[in-house]
Amino acid sequence: MKKRLLAVLMCIAMTASMLLGCSAGSEGDSSEDSGDKSAGTREMEVEGDATELEVWTFIEMHQDFYTDMAEKWNEEHPDKKVKLVLSNMAYDDMHNKLSLALESGEGAPDVVDIELGKFPAFMTGEIGLMDLTDAIEPYKDNVIESRLEIYGKNGAYYGFPTHVGATVAFYNTEALEGAGIDYTTIKTWDDFKAAGVKYYEATGKYFACVETTAQWMINLMLTQKGGDYLDADGNIDITNDKMVEVLEYIKGMQDTGAFATVPGGQPDNEEAYPSYNNGDYAVQIMPFWQTSRFTNYMTDLSGKVAIAAPPVWNEGDAIKSIGGGGTGTAVVASSENADLAAEVFAYIKLSEAANEEVWNVLGFDPVNTEVWTDTELTQNPDNQFVQFFNTYPFDTLLEIQDGIYALESLTSEKFPSINNEFCTVTLNNIYENGMDIKEALEESQDTLKNEFGE
Amino acid sequence: MKKLFYSQKIAPYVFVLPFVLTVVFFWVFPIGNGILLSFQDVLKDEWVGLGNYKRLLSDKIFLKAVYNSAKYMVGTLILLIPFPMLFATLLNSKLMKKPGLFKSIYFIPALTSVVVAGTIFRLMFGEMETSLANQVIGIFGFGPIKWLKGEWTGYFALLLLACWRWTGVNILYFLAGLQSISTDIYEAASIDGASKWQQFIKISFPLLRPTTVYVLTISIYAGLSMFTESYMLWKGNNSPQNIGLTIVGYLYRQGIEKRAMGYACAVGLVLLVIVMIVNLIQLKATGTFDKEER
Amino acid sequence: MKSQKNKNRLATVMLIVLFTILAILIIIPIYTIFLASFKPGGDLLQYGLNLGIDWNRMSLANYELLFTGQHEYWRWFMNSIILTVVTVVATLLVSAFVGYGFAAYEFKGKNALFLVVLIILSIPLEVVMLPLYKQMTSWGMMDSYVAIVLPFVAHASTIFFFRQYLLGLPKSLLEAGRIDGATEYGIFFRLIVPIMKPAFAAMAILNGMNAWNNYLWPLLVIRSADKYTLTLGLNTLINPYGDNYSLLVVGSFFSIIPIFILFVCFQQYFIEGMTAGAVKE
Repeated sequence: MKKRLLAVLMCIAMTASMLLGCSAGSEGDSSEDSGDKSAGTREMEVEGDATELEVWTFIEMHQDFYTDMAEKWNEEHPDKKVKLVLSNMAYDDMHNKLSLALESGEGAPDVVDIELGKFPAFMTGEIGLMDLTDAIEPYKDNVIESRLEIYGKNGAYYGFPTHVGATVAFYNTEALEGAGIDYTTIKTWDDFKAAGVKYYEATGKYFACVETTAQWMINLMLTQKGGDYLDADGNIDITNDKMVEVLEYIKGMQDTGAFATVPGGQPDNEEAYPSYNNGDYAVQIMPFWQTSRFTNYMTDLSGKVAIAAPPVWNEGDAIKSIGGGGTGTAVVASSENADLAAEVFAYIKLSEAANEEVWNVLGFDPVNTEVWTDTELTQNPDNQFVQFFNTYPFDTLLEIQDGIYALESLTSEKFPSINNEFCTVTLNNIYENGMDIKEALEESQDTLKNEFGE
Repeated sequence: MKKLFYSQKIAPYVFVLPFVLTVVFFWVFPIGNGILLSFQDVLKDEWVGLGNYKRLLSDKIFLKAVYNSAKYMVGTLILLIPFPMLFATLLNSKLMKKPGLFKSIYFIPALTSVVVAGTIFRLMFGEMETSLANQVIGIFGFGPIKWLKGEWTGYFALLLLACWRWTGVNILYFLAGLQSISTDIYEAASIDGASKWQQFIKISFPLLRPTTVYVLTISIYAGLSMFTESYMLWKGNNSPQNIGLTIVGYLYRQGIEKRAMGYACAVGLVLLVIVMIVNLIQLKATGTFDKEER
Repeated sequence: MKSQKNKNRLATVMLIVLFTILAILIIIPIYTIFLASFKPGGDLLQYGLNLGIDWNRMSLANYELLFTGQHEYWRWFMNSIILTVVTVVATLLVSAFVGYGFAAYEFKGKNALFLVVLIILSIPLEVVMLPLYKQMTSWGMMDSYVAIVLPFVAHASTIFFFRQYLLGLPKSLLEAGRIDGATEYGIFFRLIVPIMKPAFAAMAILNGMNAWNNYLWPLLVIRSADKYTLTLGLNTLINPYGDNYSLLVVGSFFSIIPIFILFVCFQQYFIEGMTAGAVKE
């Protein structure tokens, strides 16, 4: 017994010392360069006095962006230097932890990225986020207002937007040309559907996906039709005719065989990227920020993808596109350094320099539209996104600029629950299980009414 | 004072004191608190009376979660009690060589974290043609299935995950029970000409009853409160048509994700009542009460 | 007689075949992740987990990442080891202490209190999780390992087990101790603890397993990334916004190893301890 116990202790001691050695080693490395860690905490290196700001994000790429921009800030404001301590967490975990921290008034960071779909949840009850209206003021004129409003309530703004997220079409031109399809001739949804059928007949491969875990295309089609999830009084109304028409139309697409659900349920999903990367699906209707997913996760498509305006119902429709998705950077009201944090992050996210970086580093469509027409920037041959796509991405953005609208209910407190119901139940019922559309919508309407107590 | 502390009268209370404190601070307080919260809308900070409970009764998603949890519990009871018992009996047989090796192997899955196990199973049951599950059914000529999108295929994957993780543990419980049965009984039965099967039915099964009751109790508990397995298998709390949503998953969704703390506490208390009732029925049915009262 | 012997031999072979098949089924998932630990992370998303071996695509790159890459894996690993050791030692000592109280003494209220043990044994923690969370917050215990360990050191099922184990204890041993002038607590620490080793081994494995794999409660309690345990940390790798599957598979595979070593070392006592503490009538 004793011997064996000794052996066990030895084992443990050995593993422990080995591990200690390793972790000490990795700490040593990290001081040499602040490196790209896949997850966890990262600290900025700052010389001299600096105020430490704790930042939570769920998007790894934002860490680099914030660090770069904070360094610029420190150069320009040596008297107000900041040192960012960035934590990257899983999407759900981060939002849940934030909600718990705000609730308990303890453990919240100074600055946090909140995803658009989760934002309304932080706008209920006592708002724990800081009113950023004053901090936004210096930049306001150049920023697309609808993108500020989605993070606002009662005239006050609580989040700095990252991008416009204009919904566009991404066409795999190599695949389409093989089937004799010219994507520039696709103007309306009917064209889109017909092209899909032709493509499927020629190649036996799917044209585009039918979404079940997101509503990028659905929301676009719905907004273009003038529909929404709520009625004029803000009550839940998902059984309205326009909703049914849109879902019926997509069902019709699916019935042709050319459109199908995709692993992961939508184009922006780790399980879906491979399907696009190897050409199983040719087209994506996605917000503009999908560009960065292409360069990161669908690298085989380099030089084969064109960006174009998304289809509309009838040529000449006013609503050409909608802003989709987004991340609002918020400042926690109870933070000791809230004012400084607001000032710094207004700079980091809204200044012209920042908006140039948003494009250069992240590949997003910046909210500061001044940047859009700066061809030196948007057609810079060294830019990885310009290199990746075979059209100039901003040509499309400028083409639809005046037709970018927003889905009204996006800012409603009810939207997160509606979105959740659609992505788990409604769309699966319809497109995976073949349930009647009206029936599926009515079922979900009941569920939601119960939740909202309507 | 010191003398009192060391006296034989006081000592027993000192021994059980940590447990008493635990119960008071970490069970009685929170449950009491939970009951109070369940009558409130915490975000709006107002009392809603029975509102939360009324809403629960007509909340289809909650009912679905209860159904899912119950279905999972029943499945695990059917698969994770008889088979491990049988395997334990066979492993315990004198005819079996090297039982120790097999015991260790069967125990490995229990040592893997649910986070790891759930991820392994999620990827094994991927919907692509090349995932292991689809390769296996491919051998029998079936096309690929979207395992985790269908109610019953998803249930199958979940149950398989549970069996994979717990069969070994339950085998060990039953082995421990079997080893406390004296071998004389089997020898006597053997001399009387009882077959191995008869010995299992007539001797092992009844004498294993205390172990069975124990395993049954913790299986009911674990089955009804399952969360992490499904959370990992479906990569989060949102599964298609909520096929993976459990009672605790719903508690988590309402209390943490939607910040409806009061409503979530009501869900928790309903779970408490369900577990209590099921266990009372079980203890009654297995006759455990009669023995205790002896 | 000879035919009986042959029959027995046949039975042995059949049993070994049966259990070998079962063992293979149980090993397959582990084996798939072992194979995957040599494949590029992206392959997992494209092909899922399977038994395919393609030598051209396999490499030690993931292991290189694990041992030399920039990530927090080893910190999580250390945190988990520390937390598991602390939990096991604390839970075992406190629960044995209480269990001994139930087994060795007759006192007023004992039966009622033991009934409470049995009731708590069957209540899922999740029932009290949210109120407990609120309470912990108001006590300022959030984001600390204390909040993870403390509520469960007097662990109902462990107390129950130790009590069962100690029921068979000869009272004469206690009397002898008292005559030797040992205090009540001295008896427990000097006489009882040493004879409980098999029981400790059994409970060390069960509690160690739980602590190592614990997910939901630490998820609520822990906020700082530098306090993440292995389960919490690995879960951050399952993130739609980053391709971290390379580290995830190799890290997952590696996380099984320490707890497995612990099990193999203690397993002999595990059965012995479980048997002695087995539920008795």
